[in-house]
Amino acid sequence: MSGAFLQACGLTWTVAHTTIVDSLDLAVERGELVGVIGPNGAGKTTLLRLLAGLLTPTAGEVLLDGREIGGMESRRRARLVSFMTQDMSQVFPFTVMEILLMGRYPHLGRFQKEGTDDRERARRMLSYVGLTAMVDRAFSGLSGGERQLVLFAKALVQDTDGLLLDEPSSSLDILHQDRIFSMTQELAREGRAVVASLHNLSVAAQYCSRLVLMEKGRIACDGRPEQVLKPEILDEVYGIRTMVSPSLATGSLTVTVVPRDRGATGTRVHLIGGAGSAVNLTRELYRLGCSLTGGIAHEYDSDEKLWRSLGIGCMTVRAFSRITDEQIREAAHFVEQADLTILCSFPVGQGNIGNLRLASLARRLVVLKTGPEEVPRTFFSEEGRKLFAQACTGSNVLDHDEILSELLKARDGSAVP
Amino acid sequence: MTRRVPHHDATVNKRHALAFLVLSLLLAAAVLLGVGIGAVPVPPASLIRFLVVKLGLSSLPLPDERDITILLLLRFPRVVAAMLVGSSLATCGVVMQGLFRNPMASPEILGLSAGGSLGAVVAITAGFASGSLLAIPAFTIAGAMLSAACIYMLSSSRGTTSLLYIVIAGMAISSLFSGLTSALLLFSREYQVSQFIFWTMGGLDGRSWQHILYSAPVLVPGMIVLSFFARELNLFTLGEEEALSLGMRVETTKRVLLVIAAVVTGVAIAVSGPIGFVGLLIPHLLRFLVGPDHRALLPASALGGALFLVLCDLLGRALLPPFEIRVGIITAILGSPYLLSLIVRIQRRSVVGAR
Repeated sequence: MSGAFLQACGLTWTVAHTTIVDSLDLAVERGELVGVIGPNGAGKTTLLRLLAGLLTPTAGEVLLDGREIGGMESRRRARLVSFMTQDMSQVFPFTVMEILLMGRYPHLGRFQKEGTDDRERARRMLSYVGLTAMVDRAFSGLSGGERQLVLFAKALVQDTDGLLLDEPSSSLDILHQDRIFSMTQELAREGRAVVASLHNLSVAAQYCSRLVLMEKGRIACDGRPEQVLKPEILDEVYGIRTMVSPSLATGSLTVTVVPRDRGATGTRVHLIGGAGSAVNLTRELYRLGCSLTGGIAHEYDSDEKLWRSLGIGCMTVRAFSRITDEQIREAAHFVEQADLTILCSFPVGQGNIGNLRLASLARRLVVLKTGPEEVPRTFFSEEGRKLFAQACTGSNVLDHDEILSELLKARDGSAVP
Repeated sequence: MTRRVPHHDATVNKRHALAFLVLSLLLAAAVLLGVGIGAVPVPPASLIRFLVVKLGLSSLPLPDERDITILLLLRFPRVVAAMLVGSSLATCGVVMQGLFRNPMASPEILGLSAGGSLGAVVAITAGFASGSLLAIPAFTIAGAMLSAACIYMLSSSRGTTSLLYIVIAGMAISSLFSGLTSALLLFSREYQVSQFIFWTMGGLDGRSWQHILYSAPVLVPGMIVLSFFARELNLFTLGEEEALSLGMRVETTKRVLLVIAAVVTGVAIAVSGPIGFVGLLIPHLLRFLVGPDHRALLPASALGGALFLVLCDLLGRALLPPFEIRVGIITAILGSPYLLSLIVRIQRRSVVGAR
């Protein structure tokens, strides 16, 4: 990894006996757009400051283009790496152009005035962020979002191969957020190394080629978005349940927070679904805090997608395939261990008839009733109808609300239903 | 390369040139007035004749002996002292405001002036002042440095970027040193009312060429060196972190600027005592005129500070002849309302205490 443009080895930063960044190793290559994510106080901003050479590490070192950043002449360093701060305050009435031209500081000699080229560059960057009309306005009079765009343009005016952006889109609307990150992707493609800290995980997944998840000053996870953004990892680091699913429009992962009720029940529930019949119940039981499993599900079924994106354990077979006896044996431990198995209301055909056999193995089975009438289900074979009738005898047939109230009763102290 | 220069920059340059021209002309006029007006009026004709002959432009006979004495020994040194002190304090005001990105900073508010006064009074009380002419400036420099060191240490502790913090810290230092100054003067054997007033309020009366002789060789180069740091001051207004990331050596620059500003303030105070409000007021007025870019603001404030103090001194001499109102009183009367309006305006923009 010695060829990496930006490299941190054993990087540590301690202030007032608190370790903010803790012996952290990281290497960022040119062409990468790395998103640094993590809870508040995880050390994201401090990491960026250390990488930019703005703080002197307590231990470890940062190598910029192979050289130790602390020993580098400061203007030389500023020609290699720029840092976009979150501090957007300015008390004096500098114009936007004057602010942008400050980005040329490391490129100019002490008595050298900014030339036409510098101004041209500043204008070009300003037009990239769509603020050409603001060139002569006072920076301090702009809105928060506009100021953030100007500071981003200033980082571009500085013209460095490394860019460190500290929450560059925190004040931006979705249009300008897209503009900043699209430009950032472009910069990475040009061969620059970009590291941005950000809070919005879906945005991070959409634009970054790699994510670094920080927790208490260390890297909890580092990899492609799909390697890092997993419900179980996010639950551990952020302490909140999430659903991670690919966006239908862009294909990138979206992270949705799925809150849980307080005082959750720990009842183990297995859901047998298919064709989306378990979606509603999955949501509600998940919220109640039931320990859920699901299956046997067919690939690409909407039940299966939901279970997977919530990190619910489930057994999956290939789409449109027939569930075999062997697969039923394999899934048997789910229904045998579950306090409760719920047979949802799905059409029964050749492929999923095995799920009815699985239901018959359940320790305790509840059949979901979808309406006032008993079992208005579709059966594509007589065998299915027969198996279903067997399943119903000797088990409770409850509707959605009845199941929930049973579980709530269980939570509030009485025994498992 | 003959690419078109954007319209905007040409306008700015033209406006700056005009501002500097107007300031210079006003300063020249103020100097002439300052030399001509006083308890004993010197007719403009003999003043002009004196100047023309002295500059070797004509071989007319020199004017009246008495007028020459007044001009050479009283008026000129006084006006030159006003110019030097005015431009020094205004320049240091610009530096302080930029350095601490704080519109309420100035050598006076941050305690540099009070430190300088204390130094002078220590020198007087300890008896050094009678030994050497340079004792007082040496001690005023030391006093201003002490204040600057306090401010530096206070501003370098983390998480202290609020606008009010540094101002309140400066005021505390200022009060402490002013109090010590008063106490020393009251208890010293050489206690004289005029000295008490001079070292608490400042004044330009009785300033001679001696004062110019030791101060100008420090003040003029000091201001020139400070103006070399105009771009660094621009970056400081973005915040120290931003300045650092743009490749400025922030701590070194900060120390160099504070040391030079303390030396310049100290020497200016040795000449005039602690004259208030110049360092606070002038940078703001000139920012309206030439904008916040320190490359224009520093020289413009130097001119403006000189002009302001010459005029204030003139006003003090012309208002109630034959009595003189001290220049520090005039600047305070003109400056205090402005300070109040500044505070109100800043509060309205609710930037006080904000990052």
